[in-house]
Amino acid sequence: MRKSSKILALLLVAAMFISAACTTGTDSGAAPQESGGGPVVLSPDNPVTIPIWFTSGQMAPAPDNKISALLKERLGVTLEYDITTPDLQDQRIGVMLAGGNLPDILGPTDINARMVNGGALLRLDDYLDSGDYPNLAAHVEPYRKKLSWTGGGVEDGLYIFPNYNRFYGDPPLLSGDYMGTGFFIQKAVLEHFGYPDLENMTLERYFGFIEDYMAEFPEIDGQQTIGFTFPAFDGREWGLTNPPNFLAGNPNNGGVIIADDGTATIYANSQYAYDYFKFLNEAYAKGLVDPESFTQTLDQYEAKIATGRVLGMHDQRWSFGNANDSLVQQGKDERTYVATMPVFEGKEPWYADFDVMNINQGLGISASAENPELLLTFLDTLLSEEWQIILSWGIEGEDYLVDENGMYYRTPEQRTNADSITWRQSNRLEALFDIMPKRQGTLSNGNALERQAQPIEFFGRLSEYDKNFLEQYGKQTWRDFVNDPPENPVYYPAWQIQLPDGSDAQVAQAQLDDAAIQYLPLAIMADPADFDAKWKDYTDAIDRIDVAALEAVFTAGVQERMATWGE
Amino acid sequence: MTAKTHKRSFGRKLWLQRGLILMSVPLLLHRILFSYVPLAGWTIAFQDFRPRFGLSPIQQILQNEFVGLDNFKRLLDGASIIGERFLLSVRNTIGQSLLTLVLGYVCAITLSLLLNEITKSIPKKIIQNILYLPHFLSWVIVAGLASTALAMPGSGGIINEILMSVGILKEPIHFLANPNSFWNVVAGTHLWKTLGWNTIIYLAAMTTIDPTLYEAAAIDGANRYQKMWHVTLPCIRPTIIILLIMSTGWLLTSGFEIQWFLGNGLNVTHSENIDIFVLRYGIEMNNFGLATAAGIFRTGVSIFLLTMVNFIAGRLGQEKLF
Repeated sequence: MRKSSKILALLLVAAMFISAACTTGTDSGAAPQESGGGPVVLSPDNPVTIPIWFTSGQMAPAPDNKISALLKERLGVTLEYDITTPDLQDQRIGVMLAGGNLPDILGPTDINARMVNGGALLRLDDYLDSGDYPNLAAHVEPYRKKLSWTGGGVEDGLYIFPNYNRFYGDPPLLSGDYMGTGFFIQKAVLEHFGYPDLENMTLERYFGFIEDYMAEFPEIDGQQTIGFTFPAFDGREWGLTNPPNFLAGNPNNGGVIIADDGTATIYANSQYAYDYFKFLNEAYAKGLVDPESFTQTLDQYEAKIATGRVLGMHDQRWSFGNANDSLVQQGKDERTYVATMPVFEGKEPWYADFDVMNINQGLGISASAENPELLLTFLDTLLSEEWQIILSWGIEGEDYLVDENGMYYRTPEQRTNADSITWRQSNRLEALFDIMPKRQGTLSNGNALERQAQPIEFFGRLSEYDKNFLEQYGKQTWRDFVNDPPENPVYYPAWQIQLPDGSDAQVAQAQLDDAAIQYLPLAIMADPADFDAKWKDYTDAIDRIDVAALEAVFTAGVQERMATWGE
Repeated sequence: MTAKTHKRSFGRKLWLQRGLILMSVPLLLHRILFSYVPLAGWTIAFQDFRPRFGLSPIQQILQNEFVGLDNFKRLLDGASIIGERFLLSVRNTIGQSLLTLVLGYVCAITLSLLLNEITKSIPKKIIQNILYLPHFLSWVIVAGLASTALAMPGSGGIINEILMSVGILKEPIHFLANPNSFWNVVAGTHLWKTLGWNTIIYLAAMTTIDPTLYEAAAIDGANRYQKMWHVTLPCIRPTIIILLIMSTGWLLTSGFEIQWFLGNGLNVTHSENIDIFVLRYGIEMNNFGLATAAGIFRTGVSIFLLTMVNFIAGRLGQEKLF
């Protein structure tokens, strides 16, 4: 008895030491093959395993994924995925920096670029200038200045390849879907009122449609009709707070309005905001605004829209994408939405903007990587048109077909396949493609890189209802419903300007969000007679916040961009 | 007994129990490694700390600037927005914990007394199993269930639906929009999840009660309720008190998931507890100094509370923890 307990104790101690040793001992970098400069040739004869970490809402591919198999077969590369969801990224990055054990390829989408200024990424300028990575070099060349980090902590330079909105082709082929901001309204409502003109939209007209339709149809499919809702939960507070900015005819700069000289001013307590929320308060009193708008979670919000009983939302189109897909799958095309762009009197809508490159988000190489040349060669290879087509369209003959003009298209069956998450897990590398640099726009053979941007794919997928709807409005695509974006200002968008960690500006930003989600609902739900008192509570709360610090950082950032990017 | 014999007997005892002591060594090492060594990280609370890649833990601490008690001052300065928010979060944590504690204790003890009265073994087992089930659900799932159950009727708010269909309510109540009901929501979900499980320890204590006590009580003419009141309860009193003392150490911890998933702008004045505050203003802003300071504050107050309650219990002639 006593003997066995001793053995057990010894085993426990041994196990502890072994596990302690293991945590420091596993550092599986890419196998160095030709260390020291020069291009590396990736081949199946030289198999390598590359650990990669990134932030994405997409899941890692299934083990039997056919594109993973192709990467191994042609390049000898096996990727070891470690994916963090966006909501956990802040915590994960802190742990990774302090822990000091990094995968070889890193893909943060952190707007504050903590991996860059924390010294975790490799400066890439010398590698790009070496000429060994032509695809990557050409990808960033026109935008080197914009993409270069100048925020301190490390030497100025390029650290991250952006994952979205570097467009190829003139003009680039863009998707017919509009994924941006708007006051969305159900197609059925517009159909009911005989496809009214959507130009010169105002809040009064928008809510007028909703009110009249609700009066006639208090229930949709047996459930109570909901007039208007929006996301206000953590991370998407802008569903509640952004409208005053758009109503005032400004592009999306986040929480500030930028004057021509680059001065940033918050609009949370402006006259525009007062006018909008006063209007919303009256709409609420009429029963047009969903009282659950302020308490619902993302799931509840999406589920609600997917029932088809919500007539309108202020949101960004991608944000309710799942609900939209669900409506389409149920065959309720008339319950899907188009964007409208109400503005205050005398203002021009600027809801849609030119898609902007996201800076400080995308892929970079770890500062501790043993063989950066190999990793860059791998990324460069994936950025070639050949691999881009495989990653986006799949394999010719299997996932898409080519017509006599060389244009790619898919059969209905191939489209259905791609709608299934399980199929995509085994046949696409969606998570990787999400974080990777991409040749968005037009490929050299005239096709669009993105399937949804291929005209034949867009028009081929339109339902009869949608075709008729577009015809009634005399428009080609959903993008035609929104404004033609004016050219972006040089500094645009200001929301990309980072607020340094620990700064008063960063705290002020969080406190402004907190004040909005705490006081605005009270004001909106108040008796219209009490609105002014509740509004004063809100502006009083803002007056206590160090707004000047926040505005100063934005102003400095915008003016610096105007000076350095301006020429 | 003289000091000498005492000493000898201690050494002898030590030698006789060497097997047990050896067995406790790994656990002791585990404690030291995972509970005491990390305390070195408390230095972060006195720094303006920014993690930097490629440095050892000691270098991490050395490369950052010491700021003295600044982080604590920011937290406890009730005149600033951050301090006000932190103190509010402390209030909410204690309020939520106390309500959870009182409700949880009263209900668990009552339920154990009732379960103890069931003599038929099969129905008792079935009831117990059903009661234990919620314990095995993760808090995230409980939070999801609660968020749906408390919603408006059209979104699956089953509580409103039931209350309306039996005629207690005319208009649905928007539970999650009302700050004053949030502590109840916390206490209620805790009760639902942990009630059954918490009865286990009391039921175990009840099985140790000497049956002759019940027989004596019966001979004295005690009925069932009197036996519960005069025999069962006094006999499990030591268990109750020890558990209560231990619980006071957790008063500044009121859970995370319920507050995180069910908290919103409308109920923030009553939903944000210390954990949420630390996440939002500490970790999410990369402000590890503030987060650590809040953690130290919590540990300090918890140790103080535990010691005080233990001391008072001793003074009142009750069981003590240490």
